[in-house]
Amino acid sequence: MRPDPGRVLQGVAVNLLTNVMQEIRTPFGMQTVGIAGSLAMMTAEEFDRAADRLVSENRAVRAILNDGLPLVGGDTASAVSAAIATPAAPDFRVSSLLAENDAVRAGLIALHAGVEEVATPEARSMDERIWAELIESTHRREFASRLI
Amino acid sequence: MEAQLARYLEAKLPAEHVRVSNLFRIPGGASRETWMFDASWHESGEEKVEAFVVRKDPPASLLETDREAEYAFYSTFWGSKVPVPRMRWLEPDASILGGPFFIMDRILGCESATRVIIAPPFTDVQPEIAQNMYEILAVISTFDWKGSPAARVAGAPTPETAWEQELGHWERIINEQELSPQPIMRGAIRWLRANPPPPAQRISVVHGDYRVGNFLYQADGSIHGIVDWEMAHLGDPIEDLAWSFNESWQWAKDGRPGGIVDRGTAIAVWERASGLTADRAALHWWEVFSHVKCQGIWLTGARSFQEGRTNELILPLVAYTLINGQDQYLLRTMGRIA
Repeated sequence: MRPDPGRVLQGVAVNLLTNVMQEIRTPFGMQTVGIAGSLAMMTAEEFDRAADRLVSENRAVRAILNDGLPLVGGDTASAVSAAIATPAAPDFRVSSLLAENDAVRAGLIALHAGVEEVATPEARSMDERIWAELIESTHRREFASRLI
Repeated sequence: MEAQLARYLEAKLPAEHVRVSNLFRIPGGASRETWMFDASWHESGEEKVEAFVVRKDPPASLLETDREAEYAFYSTFWGSKVPVPRMRWLEPDASILGGPFFIMDRILGCESATRVIIAPPFTDVQPEIAQNMYEILAVISTFDWKGSPAARVAGAPTPETAWEQELGHWERIINEQELSPQPIMRGAIRWLRANPPPPAQRISVVHGDYRVGNFLYQADGSIHGIVDWEMAHLGDPIEDLAWSFNESWQWAKDGRPGGIVDRGTAIAVWERASGLTADRAALHWWEVFSHVKCQGIWLTGARSFQEGRTNELILPLVAYTLINGQDQYLLRTMGRIA
């Protein structure tokens, strides 16, 4: 689809924030139009990157789950195993990738809680690796177009 | 809505022909719709005009709170050293305006906007505003709430259980509202449970959303109204102090709470005025907790919008920006990132 959907949404945002905004007479109306413009810009950014972000993150989290599984036992191991066994997304629809992301990130929570209870150096190292992944996950979700 | 409000006031006021004018909705109010209006009527041969605020429950919002409790906390402080608007009527009947609501007097001649307080000419009076803000918080923290309307609607925890009550409450909200797993918040919740704060020095009224943006101020630095009591409860007074420091309300993006004061000054003013101590371990615990609570609020709004219970655009905007932002603010408070 050309023009790119991201460009279309950018055009929507520019129109809302410039042409439409100056026609609005109430503070609430101005706020609503401003928010709509901001959302259009953010959605444009997310449209282009969402699949890449989710594929990268699912791959990274699965690697951590595989490496962390031997460090935990009992119910935690079962939860982590279940997350690892979650089938990869069957296609590249964002909704499919997001469903996989939810499953592996739930497993990551279980693994994280599990290694916190283990005092070995390997568990401490895994704890730090998980925190590093979580920090990276916030960078993946940052918006360059964030206004607030 | 003018006609419905006029009919409602005619039943409440000693007047027959009430005229409602200048009705408009104000920005913000992400948990309850906030509308301003003027009402005029004849009483004892004289024309009377009063300015009101109506807070109405929307179909869905960032928060699902009890308007009766909010009304009670406002009423508790009416006439005290904590400036609040006078509550007028609490109406549970949703058929009148399309949702339950309450009406309060409108405090005139004040600013509340966060973008205004961080810009000239208000930058010159930020020290006075901050002094007043934390002195008023000290009054709230030391207020004798026993026998007040607040005591009738809010349960009091013990000093030992105040933290657990709040953490449990907000963890339940995250459990119910999250649309996707929240591994960073889950890590914080485990840390909070493993490292409880010292017992509260006293059980106080906790405003629950005490920050720049929730009070009305003037150009001389005075504060004339503390508003948005919808999350008020009884608990550890350190909770409000910590909440006011949250990075989500560092409006000037300069590391200063509210964009108006440095932490040390805020703590010193509050300690001096309240006679209480801001124990540093307790303060840190409640600051970490404040991120969990914020996330519970943002997640509630995200689910409301996702499920189609509202089309308020502020909710996805908050979700897109603050859910990830709050994770980052939490990581900073926990020392995981600079």
